[in-house]
Amino acid sequence: MRTPSTTLIHVLVGKSIVETLLVGALAVFTFITMLPPFFHGWGEVRDTGISGWVVNNAAPWERVEVQLFVDGEFVAARAANESRPDVLAAGWSRDEWHGYTFALTQLSLGSHEARVYALHDSAGGLRKTLQLLGDPIRFSVAQGGKLKLPNR
Amino acid sequence: MLAESENPTQLPPATAKALALWEILSVTVSCLIAEWVVLSFVARSKVVTAIPILLALGLMLFSHRERGETVRDVGFRVDNFVATCRLLFLPTIAAVLLTIAVGWYMHHSIFPAPFRLRFISLPLWALFQQYALNGFINRRAQLAFGKGSTSVALVAVVFSLLHLPNPLLAIVTMFAGLIWAAVYQRQPNLFALALSHTLASITLALSLPPSLLNNLRVGFKYFG
Repeated sequence: MRTPSTTLIHVLVGKSIVETLLVGALAVFTFITMLPPFFHGWGEVRDTGISGWVVNNAAPWERVEVQLFVDGEFVAARAANESRPDVLAAGWSRDEWHGYTFALTQLSLGSHEARVYALHDSAGGLRKTLQLLGDPIRFSVAQGGKLKLPNR
Repeated sequence: MLAESENPTQLPPATAKALALWEILSVTVSCLIAEWVVLSFVARSKVVTAIPILLALGLMLFSHRERGETVRDVGFRVDNFVATCRLLFLPTIAAVLLTIAVGWYMHHSIFPAPFRLRFISLPLWALFQQYALNGFINRRAQLAFGKGSTSVALVAVVFSLLHLPNPLLAIVTMFAGLIWAAVYQRQPNLFALALSHTLASITLALSLPPSLLNNLRVGFKYFG
């Protein structure tokens, strides 16, 4: 067997570079596909639940499906299709039908944390990912089941 | 001044030895990228899946050319087919009987799993795997460590690593890799190894429940 020339080293280095680029490109492609940075939204505490809005800037006419988790537990899912003219007026959306409301009536007294996520399908529905909308919402439940922001 | 026979691009022997290990690493990494990265990111794109495989294949072919290895050297030959089959006969039959016995113990029947059409292409797939494993990795391992237990163990570890995270397959391929690598070092014949590989794989797939083998899935697909 012959001792190889330095060309083999060049080929090995070249192959490593191509593979690194491939893995990097796939990582970026997957991130953009699975967790696209196109969702905008916000959630807030109301007396009887959590409400807010969400828009997918990549598909501004689409009604985004949202999921509510309270204290890390799944509570409910629904489409964000309620009227929010203020969102349209502020220029966040192309139409006003991007609002959502989750009624919360079964929570125990005391402090809780809600998180609202946009549900995103990729790979033709094979993969589903959740993206947090806005910040986690801290609130407390007072006597009578009324929701309040903490320290109010 | 260099002598007439010396080539300024030729590597010193120590570097050539390290180069052989690098080649093994490079081919192994390509397989791991295909199994773990490409299949997890773009499972439905066969073109992208083929990229790391083609890169590895290209490297192997180029390396053979660089080192002056012929098709016959690598093990695509028939003159030692019978001799290799003789070496493989007992371990293959033992593995087949053991697998059937385990399947019978679990199901009280022989070959309970259904025959699948994809088994027809198994001999070709087995030949390709044996080429990469022994025709390339084993030969490079011998360049680095010489013939014997160290190079045989390296081949088996690489073969097992490529079957993770499927625990049963990783164990089975470790033992199979040891036997095939040892036989290849005595009689380099890839056709006989592929025959043994095919028999063992089909027996495994037909005898053991798919849930135990997770349909022979490896890499990221194991979790899917």
